[in-house]
Amino acid sequence: MIPFIIRRLLWMVVLLLVISFLTYIIFYTLPAADPAALRAGRQPSPELLASIRQTLGLDDPWYIQYFKYLKRLVLHFDFGYSYQNNISVKQQIFDRLPVSATLAFGAAVVWLLIGIPVGIISAIRRGTWMDRVAMGGALVAISAPVYWLGLVSLYLFSKDLGKFPIFEGQGAYPSTGSIFTNPQEVIPALIMPWFVLAASFAAVYARFLRGNLLEVMSEDYIRTARSKGLRERRVVFKHGVRSAITPIVTILGLDLGILLTQAILTETVFNIPGIGRLAFDAIQKSDLPTVQGTVLVGAFAIIFLNLLVDIVYAFLDPRVRY
Amino acid sequence: MKMSVRVLALAIAAALTLFAAACGSSDNGGGGGGSSKAEKAAGGEIKAGKKGGTLTYLAASDVDYLDTGQTYYTFGYMVAFATNRTLYSFKPNDSVHPVPDLATGPPEVSADNKTITVHIRKGVKYAPPVNREVTTKDIKYAFERSFSKEVPSGYAGAWFSSIVGTPDKPNSGDIKPISGIETPDDQTIVFKLKDASAPLVTQALVMPITVPVPEEYASKWDKSTPSKFDQYQSFTGPYMVKNDPTTGKVTGRVPGKSIAIVRNPNWDPKTDFRPAYLDAVNIEEGNDDLATASRRALNGQSTVCCDAGSPPAQVLKQALARQSDQVEFVPSGGTRYIAFDTKVKPFDDINIRKAIIAASNRDALRLTRGGKVLGDIATGWIPPGIPGFEEAGGLKQNVDLDFLAHPEGDPAIAKKYMLAAKQDDPSLPIDANGKWTGGEKLLTIATNADPGKKTAEVFQGQMEQLGFKLNFRIVPQDTLYTKFCGVPKADVAICPNVGWFKDFSDPQSMLDATFNGKNILQQGNVNWPQLDVPAINDAMKAASTVPVGAERNQAWAKINHMIAEQAPAIPWIWDKTASVGSANVNQVVNGYDTAHDLSFTSIK
Repeated sequence: MIPFIIRRLLWMVVLLLVISFLTYIIFYTLPAADPAALRAGRQPSPELLASIRQTLGLDDPWYIQYFKYLKRLVLHFDFGYSYQNNISVKQQIFDRLPVSATLAFGAAVVWLLIGIPVGIISAIRRGTWMDRVAMGGALVAISAPVYWLGLVSLYLFSKDLGKFPIFEGQGAYPSTGSIFTNPQEVIPALIMPWFVLAASFAAVYARFLRGNLLEVMSEDYIRTARSKGLRERRVVFKHGVRSAITPIVTILGLDLGILLTQAILTETVFNIPGIGRLAFDAIQKSDLPTVQGTVLVGAFAIIFLNLLVDIVYAFLDPRVRY
Repeated sequence: MKMSVRVLALAIAAALTLFAAACGSSDNGGGGGGSSKAEKAAGGEIKAGKKGGTLTYLAASDVDYLDTGQTYYTFGYMVAFATNRTLYSFKPNDSVHPVPDLATGPPEVSADNKTITVHIRKGVKYAPPVNREVTTKDIKYAFERSFSKEVPSGYAGAWFSSIVGTPDKPNSGDIKPISGIETPDDQTIVFKLKDASAPLVTQALVMPITVPVPEEYASKWDKSTPSKFDQYQSFTGPYMVKNDPTTGKVTGRVPGKSIAIVRNPNWDPKTDFRPAYLDAVNIEEGNDDLATASRRALNGQSTVCCDAGSPPAQVLKQALARQSDQVEFVPSGGTRYIAFDTKVKPFDDINIRKAIIAASNRDALRLTRGGKVLGDIATGWIPPGIPGFEEAGGLKQNVDLDFLAHPEGDPAIAKKYMLAAKQDDPSLPIDANGKWTGGEKLLTIATNADPGKKTAEVFQGQMEQLGFKLNFRIVPQDTLYTKFCGVPKADVAICPNVGWFKDFSDPQSMLDATFNGKNILQQGNVNWPQLDVPAINDAMKAASTVPVGAERNQAWAKINHMIAEQAPAIPWIWDKTASVGSANVNQVVNGYDTAHDLSFTSIK
């Protein structure tokens, strides 16, 4: 196991290097805005532009800029400063990471709590009205774009705009504190976003689990378990669900990693100041250091959680050995 | 694609005509048709308020900078003018006539227009931790730092480079003195100019570069490149961004999230014309969805919106129908236009340019932004609220030019000019009906966001009716300016989404940068048509030294007409900014920066 983890960690470093390089190249190739010109204001003199380019390090060839960036990152864990407001990118990312993590992990809990029971019930009650209602609902949830669902939720349920004011709406996320230090404000502000973000995932997981479970329940060893006289509940949960749920762990790890940095739509609709919003704003403003920082953190999250999933796999599935 | 553009144009026109009809005519503040020759003061209404209360401001984005040496955008100005004091500023209802703020009276200008003297009032103190009284040495330092590499100002070079001793390029290393700024005593500052440009420079003394900066406090932050003073800003206004009273570290700004504005304990109302009713303002950032944010403001309590422009048309229509008291309009102080690069074929031919202007339906273009309620059709380059507007003809500037006389477009006049172009140059691919038959596609760079994208699409449809084919590309607005339209070598034939808005109220500031051939830059160019007509350049040089007043206004109005004769672009809207707020808010919008004036806004 240990050599496997070391090998994967080394690959992680290589992957992060490749990703950072690709981000740099894409930024240079695409016709993004000129950060120096943006900062120079209107009608800037060539001297002012040159001065800003020098200050931002944009007067070096791209490979020198990239090398300097990597050097700062590796030696000092320094992501640089935003072109837009001179604020440290590291500070901005770490400031917003807990927000995105709270949103992503909370939504994951919601979608697992909904998706797994619905998937199991659908599978073991296949063809009944419960199955049809559950799968019909899942289809609706998958089809509804998250921004639409978010806006509809706001207009229906938010305290300031909603027809049935129940939950805190857009802009309710507090500007200070976290779920641990300020739970009385953070949790109410996140109830709607958690459900909105979880809706399509819960539907996908329910359908996925239903399909897996149906397949597993027709396996020989399930028939053997039943023939041994085990109770149906034990057959389903101990033998069926355990096997059917294993692939879900894989996609859960990936989904969490992606969501940590890419819950852009939910964060935008509910005005939650997370990493997704930071990345989106940075792309809009051609703020390379911030784009690069958020991409690397996102890539790290996906790769790291993927590694974690692989390790968990070994415990869940006795056939897996590293 | 052709069909879809036309269908879209028709749909927008139909929908927005209904909207405009529903909204009625509320062209307040436009200044058109005034009985007086003097320019009409443009701005928001001042409403009496009562003291106290906390206002919530819903913003889409963050301020650019708190540092008054660097901020250059509307939202940054809104915060800067609430938390700081400039030499001169504007009352909300008059964006034409500046009033003394730190200054005690109007600037004294020497007979040769080369020296400006300003006296400042006593008793204005900095907020903690600086606490001391403001002197003119602080204003001198503010100018000096704005010409340094550490504090790259977006406009110092453009408007103040005529001060003796200003460097050609930003100073590096320590901030260096500017010999042309003298402070004979703590209440007097003298600006010595290289040329007779005092009329322009005096008007520019309203800009945040004139906010005093205490050297003994700021210099340690100004040693960093870029300066860190932005996070330790000093404050002189009725309000301040919450800070640590010992170190001065700004604690009330969480970039991208919020700004907490509180009262400045050292502000003395006896030294200021602002009433400063509110106790505090909480700015909530990240409200990108203007529909939701504006509805929150309209239906909520003690809330105003939005920094990112007017609410969407549908929300505005509902608000005007049901909550009209909660909507405020002010002229934006600028002109939006569609620029042709006069150096790129076929726009090097003046008759082709005139033909396209004649054919364009500017009313249809205006509908893409919300119709009549959100602005007048532009007929020139001096917008409402800028001196010279009335002298230029008010809302009917340049209508003696047939190609500009018909806002809905006139195909017959367009045909006349197309055939004239053919007569002058028979090699041009123009048929007998005055239609362009050339196959080459003209590079057109449009913005990728509405409403600008819709404007460009409608214009594309109009160009296709004349037979032109466009290589139509859409990019983010910042990219449009910094990589394409602002870079002459990019050879962009048409820039349909450009516009120029005032830095301060002077006609030169509207025309010089944008149409003077001497101001064409290889990067960051804003003379988008690359217009370079010696007669216009010379007229601008002469008019720049004319003292502020009627004669100056006449001179620039004449230049406005000379530019229109060259048909470098299609001016299509002098737009207005609509702001919305809760029923219990007395919203006051300042006509200068077209944002809420936090020092006049109050809770009912």
